[in-house]
Amino acid sequence: MEEILERPHYSQPEKEAIFNNEFLPHIHAMYNFGYRLTLDRDDAKDLVQDTYLKAYRFIDSFQRGTNAKAWLFRILKNSFINDYRKKSKEPSKVDYQEVETYYNSEDVDRQITPDLRVESLSNMIGDEVSNALNSLDVDFRTVIILCDLEGFKYEEMAKILDIPIGTVRSRLHRARALLKEKLNQYAKEMGYTKS
Amino acid sequence: MNTPQEPHKKKEDCSNQNECLKLLQAVLDGEATPAQREHFLKEHLEGCMPCYKNYNLEMMLREKIKTKCGSEAPGDLMEAIKQKVSQLASR
Repeated sequence: MEEILERPHYSQPEKEAIFNNEFLPHIHAMYNFGYRLTLDRDDAKDLVQDTYLKAYRFIDSFQRGTNAKAWLFRILKNSFINDYRKKSKEPSKVDYQEVETYYNSEDVDRQITPDLRVESLSNMIGDEVSNALNSLDVDFRTVIILCDLEGFKYEEMAKILDIPIGTVRSRLHRARALLKEKLNQYAKEMGYTKS
Repeated sequence: MNTPQEPHKKKEDCSNQNECLKLLQAVLDGEATPAQREHFLKEHLEGCMPCYKNYNLEMMLREKIKTKCGSEAPGDLMEAIKQKVSQLASR
């Protein structure tokens, strides 16, 4: 949170009003984001609690009238990277840069041509979509949650994730292709497709 | 959003499917220009079967993500946060 400046200007009642009326209403979205990042419900609770405490401490750097949800999501994402990932015992994943370079290569567009049918997807009424999403690399599931579930614009996502807008666009495109590929695999396993 | 009609002249191949899919996603994400949106939804989809199928699939996928990938915070979390914050505030 290097850009946060100490600029105390809210009175105590104002702080409480902002916190209760603008921050707390996003608790379910925040918890879900925390869960999709950590894939652990207890860790998600801790992450959300830490995020709200940070948000309160740094409340003076929040500009009223700006997007509180995007501001909170950014703090949560930074807490996940700086705090959670460091102490997590989870074996470190593949270097993301390498993954991104691979998935941005044009070859992949030919390799990933999911032939998932809308009827197969429509039959998935259990946890298939949620499980398929969780099976993706964290950076891919993140963009899907931010865009498709939370409805953030590309520009807001770029700010939350500290990446260029072009990277948001290409990462989303790859993420959806990988998600469809996974769902197609489930569809085949479940006999939803003839092939 | 107006639902595009099923293509009349069913063009079975789209020569530019990957680029079309990128454009379709931009349209559905609300990130395309009005002209791109108009052209894609009202002209291209009308005549292109692969893109029409992709449109339906993308819509269904978004619907599934919205209904299947959310979760509610545990009931005690809000109270725990409020309590910690009031401790911070009274310091």
